[in-house]
Amino acid sequence: MEILLIGMLLLAGLAVGSLGSHLLGVPRVVGYILLGMLFAPDLLGGYLGMDSTEWTQPLVSVALGVIAYVIGGAISPGQLRRLGWSIVGATLGEVSGAFLAVFGAVLLLGMTVADLPLWSFALVLAAVAPATAPAAIVAVVHQYRARGQLTTMLLGMVAIDDALGILIFALVMATVGSGSLGGALGTVVWEVGAALLVGGVGGFVVERLSRRFHEQSMLLPMLLGGIFLIVGLAGWAGFSALLAAMVFGFSVRWFCGPHAERLFEPVEDLEETVFVLFFTFAGLHFNPAAVIDYWPLMLVYFAARAAGLFVGGGTGARLAGAPKPVWSNVGFGLFPQGGVAIGLALLLLHYPGFSRAGEVIVNLITTTTLLTEAVGAISVRYGLRRAGELGLERAGGEAK
Amino acid sequence: MKIADWLEQHPVNGVTVERDASLEEAAEALLAEPECRDIYVTDAEGRVVGHLGFRRLAGVLLSAHRPTHSRRQMLERVARGPVHEFMDRRFIAARLDENVHQVLHPHMERRVEDIPVLDADGRLVGVIRLVDLVRAAIEPSDQSIG
Repeated sequence: MEILLIGMLLLAGLAVGSLGSHLLGVPRVVGYILLGMLFAPDLLGGYLGMDSTEWTQPLVSVALGVIAYVIGGAISPGQLRRLGWSIVGATLGEVSGAFLAVFGAVLLLGMTVADLPLWSFALVLAAVAPATAPAAIVAVVHQYRARGQLTTMLLGMVAIDDALGILIFALVMATVGSGSLGGALGTVVWEVGAALLVGGVGGFVVERLSRRFHEQSMLLPMLLGGIFLIVGLAGWAGFSALLAAMVFGFSVRWFCGPHAERLFEPVEDLEETVFVLFFTFAGLHFNPAAVIDYWPLMLVYFAARAAGLFVGGGTGARLAGAPKPVWSNVGFGLFPQGGVAIGLALLLLHYPGFSRAGEVIVNLITTTTLLTEAVGAISVRYGLRRAGELGLERAGGEAK
Repeated sequence: MKIADWLEQHPVNGVTVERDASLEEAAEALLAEPECRDIYVTDAEGRVVGHLGFRRLAGVLLSAHRPTHSRRQMLERVARGPVHEFMDRRFIAARLDENVHQVLHPHMERRVEDIPVLDADGRLVGVIRLVDLVRAAIEPSDQSIG
């Protein structure tokens, strides 16, 4: 029955998402989430014998492993050097700004879920906050032929900030999982150290194996096998699967050197499939009661994240020497939040002691994702227009 | 047919560019030789160290017109490096004393159009074009590739 439901979620989700986008102009993720809601255990899912959503756990873990691999392999050390301090500085500012703003705001609000200490809850929410959705930014840049310093900075930032977000998430989960801040050091060292070692060695081995295969069709099973193996090992040995998969991607890229796309393109092609699953799964977990009970928390998270991204990103860019049109507008381009954040929230559902909090966080991220999707593109366009980088408007043309 | 003999009948020099050249320089070199679809990257001594296909080159240079990007493509767009960061180091090359039919299919499986021919020092001495091989295969004459 699970396989039947996955098929339905993928096909119907794509259909509803595409129709909504085409006919009503709403982002596709809205359709994905609504479709997921329709198949929740209380509705159609119940008729299909799906009384719980436990069965989604291994799928979410592996799917996040796939995304982490792609994120880890996105950048080479040479590119990181060439990106320039202004982009790296702005990214560090953006990520730390979102994290600290959400952490502080949730602590001040003092609202948590019954079975979780406030500091743990605030840390976990803060760890999800830095993730952004590149798709919305790329779409606006493409549609309006945007070009200039801010455009370059935004594209660079959203390409690397999820890597920092995953690193922070892994560190936070290791800290929270140890039960206390005092006892966290040993857990963090093990979780991070083992992830670095396994991901690094795995990347070396798989890259060397890949040299034996000249046919493109042989690479995908090998890469997926590596991701499955690493995620499975992490579950068995108790280290961070997300971090290990990300290091695996980085290590494959590092050892492959130039012409690495053959080891990433096949997996990148799976990204949209993974995000359709994530958004529809989030819909399965949608609980109106949680949204009503925790609306102040959602509002605070949304506002604090936006402020943190804006202030942190702007400050980071300014300190790194970016000109005023860039640092004063960079925050507008960072609001969209999407698949990675939803995936991290879904992962929380299966952490020991997090089932109730995970449910609240999934609903919170789902709701705020819908909000950021609604205003994200408008915000990106506004920032680029203020910086004078909308190419079509400069040329007096009109976007289609 | 020996590759040396093939090159005598179908002389194609091929296009090379130094490893630290920009992608724009590589494109200019390739566009100056319309009969070639692949470019070979050389070190300071002129030895071939990598291969770059036209589609890959075009894909990066025209990336601003792509409606969607993976993160990897976004970084290629904003932090573009020299030509050696895009080349394939593990290309297959032919030698002058080999037979054409021995190297043809390994190359076709790699989905490249031209077959580079290197001397003993690894320098490019010529290129076998797939288009010439197909022409020879469909024209019954003494230009057998077997």
